[in-house]
Amino acid sequence: MIDRSAAPAPEKKLTFDLPEIKELSLSNGTKVLFVRKDKLPIVYTNLIISCGSKSDPAAKRGTGYLTSLLVDEGAGKFDSLELNGEFEKLGSIFSVRSNHDMTSMTLTSLKDNFNRSLELMSDVILTPRFDEKDFAREKKKVLDKILQLKDEPSFIASSVFERKIFKDSYYAFPEIGFENTVADISNNDIKKFYTQNYTAANSTFVVVGNLTESEVTDKFNGYFSKWDSSKKSSAIFEKPERAPTSFYFVHKKDSAQSEIRIGHLAKKRDAADFIPARIMNTILGGQFSSRINLNLREDKGFTYGANSSFQYYREAGLFEVSTAVNIENTGEAVSEILKELDGIRKEITPKEIEFAKSYLIKQFPARFETYAQVAKNIEQLILHRLDIDDLRGYTGKIESTEIREVSAAALENIFPEELVVVAVGEKEKIIPQLKKIKGVEPEELDLNGNPQI
Amino acid sequence: MAKNLLKIDYEKYTLDNGLQVILYPDNSFPLVSVNIWYSVGSANEKPGKTGFAHLFEHMMFQGSENIPKEGHFRYIQEAGGSLNGSTSIDRTNYYETVPANYWELPLWLESDRMGFMLGGLTQEKLDNQKDVVMNERRQSYENQPYGTAWEKLFSNLFPENHPYSWPTIGWMEDITKFELNEVKNFFRTYYSPNNASLVVGGNFDTNGMRNSIEKYFGDIQSGGKVPGITVPPKKNIETKKIIVEDSIQLPRIYLGFHTEKAFSKNDAALDILSDVLTSSKNARLQKSLIFEKQIAQDVYSFQYSARLDGSFIIISTAKPGITLESIKSEIMTEISKLISGGITDDEMLRAKNSLKSSYIYSLQKLDLITDHLNHYNYFLNEPDSFLFDLSRYENVTKEQVIEAAKKYLLNGHTELNFIPRTK
Repeated sequence: MIDRSAAPAPEKKLTFDLPEIKELSLSNGTKVLFVRKDKLPIVYTNLIISCGSKSDPAAKRGTGYLTSLLVDEGAGKFDSLELNGEFEKLGSIFSVRSNHDMTSMTLTSLKDNFNRSLELMSDVILTPRFDEKDFAREKKKVLDKILQLKDEPSFIASSVFERKIFKDSYYAFPEIGFENTVADISNNDIKKFYTQNYTAANSTFVVVGNLTESEVTDKFNGYFSKWDSSKKSSAIFEKPERAPTSFYFVHKKDSAQSEIRIGHLAKKRDAADFIPARIMNTILGGQFSSRINLNLREDKGFTYGANSSFQYYREAGLFEVSTAVNIENTGEAVSEILKELDGIRKEITPKEIEFAKSYLIKQFPARFETYAQVAKNIEQLILHRLDIDDLRGYTGKIESTEIREVSAAALENIFPEELVVVAVGEKEKIIPQLKKIKGVEPEELDLNGNPQI
Repeated sequence: MAKNLLKIDYEKYTLDNGLQVILYPDNSFPLVSVNIWYSVGSANEKPGKTGFAHLFEHMMFQGSENIPKEGHFRYIQEAGGSLNGSTSIDRTNYYETVPANYWELPLWLESDRMGFMLGGLTQEKLDNQKDVVMNERRQSYENQPYGTAWEKLFSNLFPENHPYSWPTIGWMEDITKFELNEVKNFFRTYYSPNNASLVVGGNFDTNGMRNSIEKYFGDIQSGGKVPGITVPPKKNIETKKIIVEDSIQLPRIYLGFHTEKAFSKNDAALDILSDVLTSSKNARLQKSLIFEKQIAQDVYSFQYSARLDGSFIIISTAKPGITLESIKSEIMTEISKLISGGITDDEMLRAKNSLKSSYIYSLQKLDLITDHLNHYNYFLNEPDSFLFDLSRYENVTKEQVIEAAKKYLLNGHTELNFIPRTK
């Protein structure tokens, strides 16, 4: 019989060689961050363009998002369907995504088909068609999608929450835009957005693949050496302030649950206490065994899951607790979350800190397993303008973080008196529950986060 | 192309207690992934007791004789690993991926719940997880637009007593009623080593791994013969239409056709058929409904094949002001055109090349590979079937795709309409 009472000890400590990131320059000045990865004959390319909904004209929110949908609807000598067919024949996957800060074009291809795939990608970047009929079709699709989003409680909760936190700054508005602002966008607006923002000076390539350094430089110079790099776009962020805790709700008829978001504006990614704050949040709500999830799910059974996170946009951070609970437990769930926010400021045990540090340090290598994962780490460096060696120091900084720094991070990053509390659900059921928490009448908002009149 | 990459070197053997073991050493990255399939899913349940296999999966994370409640999460996360489980109609799986120096930890955890789960079971834990699962059902299905469509489609496509006619998560009224002794019986019936297969992949020493697997799993008692599943012989082949009101803005149509089970004769041809119909902007239905006529917001299809049976599903959301009748009529027109007019070489090339590279892309992640080895072992009794699987698709001809469409998509079917609430 074996002794099953104790966990088997790990073998000697693992050494992990962080992949080396090479910083290359194309002849037009565009930067390429390259990691050589030979395991499979795959090349993953991501073009990161510093534009997104932050670059939207105020009256035409959604322009950046719609541009990202249209840019690959035909380019060079191919119309929309032909272009898509060309990628498919190569077995390559090409897609364009856009968020508040960045637009990114990703290409996954087999090494054998990389050249031809990159050529197609260069057509999309340099010579998109923006045909009128494609514009009309995709714009209508976006308007119908906005209509459909009215059905999604989690989208409503998150977008209303960000609206309240970011007030009138550019992170306050959903990337997709609003019905009336998208309705006002013309194909000329799209072309203008493209010309102003999809520029070499705004862009960086990330390449992870089974290639040599000179292969990368040669291939990319072949397609992009003439890409104009003179124009850089910028948008001005008007930083909002935190305000005393307020309760809001959005009415959603016949809802089986309420979607809850609780949080506030937070520091940026480059804050000095980023690491201690991350350790603190790992304990609070950053993984399954966190205080918030164990309380709301494993103790109370209110929810399928609850978590907290710091989310980092380029110019601002956001602290958010997110869950969906049985509608009858809305008030209790919010109270328990508030209790946890107070609690983390009062006490964190050395054991909890050891657990969180171990979790964060030891999971680090797994963040470099796939080609896209390696690129994802580099994309974060670009987004937050971090030093290329930032990843190298990451686990060491966690290791050396002291208990008092984690406790201090709770006091300096969690503000229980300055929260935005949003619940989305059947109002007859949630109003009395929210009111009971602090005796304050919650304010009703519409689906776009405006006061309900 | 780099097809030899798809040839997987592995070792397979069976312990005395019946546990199948598959070892897949791959030293290219410092991770080890452990993946167990138990051959039990919601198809093993009975009407009135639906959702039990899934609820049981939750109970497997509530600890066992030597592991405290949520201990699986705590141990694996502290080691920097990731873990989860999932329940389908045919099987339940559990997996952990850990840094390679922690390779033994998942074996200890998995063997404790395979052999000694009942020692940690309490009424309180069951009550808690019933609440969690009811909230999972609310969050993932009831509170989602169109969220209950899948269960409404399948409970109509299959007859009442067919094991694929109820949802994996179970009906709400069944979940509320489960009792502790049922958990115990379920464990004794299905969670024995002779009803499971263990795949370990990644960076490890094969001898050490073999010894350790014997140490942790070897003394777990074999269970009895696992009861089979009774499949009613009759299918619903007459066409029927169900209309459901939901909190939605746009109506959506679901069409379900009976087809064939996984890895059967026409299974791969039906997958290609689905690609030709909906997998890209150029696919027949996308091109017609979304690109040209612009009557639909989206359209999807797939051959949903499993161990006992299969079905072909087409789903499309109507644009505002467009009726589901006109969507259906356009879908059926395109299907007839495909059957009478044939498929182009270009369409076959696009479908096959996309599939081929997707096999290479899928080799990037160890936990996907180990799960796939279990998948092939379960269906084909041969873990190393990536190449065989790919060849199934490469060998499909245009004529076979047309034949499959003719054979199955012109028959009686179940039509489900989700429409906005009228009040």
